[in-house]
Amino acid sequence: MKHTLSILLQNESGALVRVAGLFAARHVNIDALTVAATHDPAISQLTLVLHGDEGTLEQILRQLRKLVDVLDASSLSLAAGFGQPTLAAHT
Amino acid sequence: MSGADIVVQVLADEGTKVLFGYSGGAILPVYDAIFRYNAMHRDADGRDPLALIVPANEQGAGFMASGFARASGGVGVAVVTSGPGATNLVTPIRDALADSIPMVAICGQVPTAALGSDAFQEAPVANIMGACAKHVFLVTDASQLEATLRTAFELARSGRPGPVVVDIPKNVQNIVQPFDGARHLPIPGYRRRLEALEHARLGDADCGRLLDALAQARRPLVYAGGGVVASGAAPALRAFSRAFGLPVVTSLMGLGVMDTRDPLALHMLGMHGTAYANYAVEDCDFLLVLGARFDDRVAGVPDKFAPRARFIAQIDIDPAEVGKVKAVDWAHVGQLGASLERIAQHARSRGVNLQLDAWHAHLAGLKRVHAMNYDRASPLLQPQAVIEAINRQTCGRAIIATGVGQHQMWSAQFFDFAEPRHWLTSGSMGTMGFGLPAAIGAQFAHPEATVIDVDGDGSIRMNVGELETVATYGLPLKIVLLNNHGDGMVRQWQKLFFKSRYSATDKNLHTKDFVRAAQADGIVWARRLERKEELEATVAEFLAVAGPAFLEVVVDPDAGVYPMVGPGASYAQMITGDFIPSRETPAPVDAEASTTHMF
Repeated sequence: MKHTLSILLQNESGALVRVAGLFAARHVNIDALTVAATHDPAISQLTLVLHGDEGTLEQILRQLRKLVDVLDASSLSLAAGFGQPTLAAHT
Repeated sequence: MSGADIVVQVLADEGTKVLFGYSGGAILPVYDAIFRYNAMHRDADGRDPLALIVPANEQGAGFMASGFARASGGVGVAVVTSGPGATNLVTPIRDALADSIPMVAICGQVPTAALGSDAFQEAPVANIMGACAKHVFLVTDASQLEATLRTAFELARSGRPGPVVVDIPKNVQNIVQPFDGARHLPIPGYRRRLEALEHARLGDADCGRLLDALAQARRPLVYAGGGVVASGAAPALRAFSRAFGLPVVTSLMGLGVMDTRDPLALHMLGMHGTAYANYAVEDCDFLLVLGARFDDRVAGVPDKFAPRARFIAQIDIDPAEVGKVKAVDWAHVGQLGASLERIAQHARSRGVNLQLDAWHAHLAGLKRVHAMNYDRASPLLQPQAVIEAINRQTCGRAIIATGVGQHQMWSAQFFDFAEPRHWLTSGSMGTMGFGLPAAIGAQFAHPEATVIDVDGDGSIRMNVGELETVATYGLPLKIVLLNNHGDGMVRQWQKLFFKSRYSATDKNLHTKDFVRAAQADGIVWARRLERKEELEATVAEFLAVAGPAFLEVVVDPDAGVYPMVGPGASYAQMITGDFIPSRETPAPVDAEASTTHMF
């Protein structure tokens, strides 16, 4: 199943590599990734699409929340009901 | 203060007494600052307040820092140079992450202007270590140096502990700036999550649900792991186990959280666990998992692990470990010690009476019938006999470090451990070469303690250069080499699963004279033991040496590690070997056909 994640990330040296590296190390493929500035120059907003079952999604979210630079990580698909991602907030 | 002086001051402020590291171009300012700090603050006895211990290889420094941290519970510190200095540290950093060991590694880096230019001794440390450490900082803004270092210590020791790397370009080490003395980085995301963990309290309803399940259990069991050691919750666990009469099995990383001689302790479970611990897991109807993570060496087949458990409960500091491998019926993410005390308090107020006499009798029977054993009648020296001989003298009080392989498993099985932090082993990563440097680090943490490195010929050779370090610092370390002339665990797998095709293990490790190597490195008491009848006397003499001592024991090369739960097998299919009675004839497992578990 396709899942869309929203990640708020501190703009630290190597932060994006750590997020991407986590997916590589945990053998989860990133289908799409967008990085956007926020009103706070110290914080970036990542929108990320991945394929995987609910277990994979839950585990990758929990691992993401262990990264020191990650302020918040959540699944938009979970918030909007399975398979019904709402991307309005990001378009 | 220069950046280098700030590094040293923060180390001192954080309570660091011993540093392990090897110098080089990009870290020279910090090494100079250490020299000057020690010259200025030397105590009346001439001792350095920041002792700097130099290994033969940076990997040695990393494992010394790890051994120091494992034995003391404090943060181990390694200081190395850029490029190869930092990359030699990759293995110990990954090893520390995998075993949740608090460390801070400080790496020199090429000057910021040279970053990314393929400069001499440049390596992308933040990239490389990013995948191996709990966190990595590359300090390009000198004004952030002090706060970053202090935060590195905070990260290393808080939550689920782990190694933190601080990569400091040489020019940043030289920039002079004011020292504040208190600044931290904000790290708001981490700090908010940590706060929530530290304040996570078990509610009455949660305690009630757990105790309802426990009250219905006839065969309850605790499975305790390294998290109990890391959180200092061993006293709470012991009290909890005693209060309810709960028997405890421990993972490799959890050895020592219960005194292994306690009637309620069943020693280690897992692939090479005791038969009685594994049968207890097979038989239990309630399992409480504390600071443990169903590692594949414990739950190789998660669906068949604890198959009769009607209720599995888990407490861990890391939310990602809950349900990662095996679904549980009840979980709490938070501090172990406080949680156990809370549950016990709730139990006292409502009154929980467990009738466990039959279960205790059953376990006592398992312990008696399926006791650890080996080929005692063999004319050849058995490795297990060597460990038993040492154990008779040390009585669970010695700090034991090991390499990885058969000698590691025999040590886990046959040593007693009275307390946590007496057992230093590379559990998750399984890094050969860990034992000797880890034992050196532990000896610096506890100069008066009996520290013994029980090593294998393959493992010790990986960091054999550190024998010289033992002699250089005059450490009273005891090194026991169980020499079976080869990589015994690999041979055991080749024998069992590859039809005795001894690829690469047939010629290796037959020529090295380890006693002469130890003597050449300055260890005066270095002997080889080959005769069974000299075992007791030699071990006694060896342990009584005041300074460093090296004892090579030539052991039966065909001795195997049993019990063994083969890859892809359940505990019911455990092979107990020729000397431990099995409960039933295990069904053969064709591991060669299995692909997912073949490691």
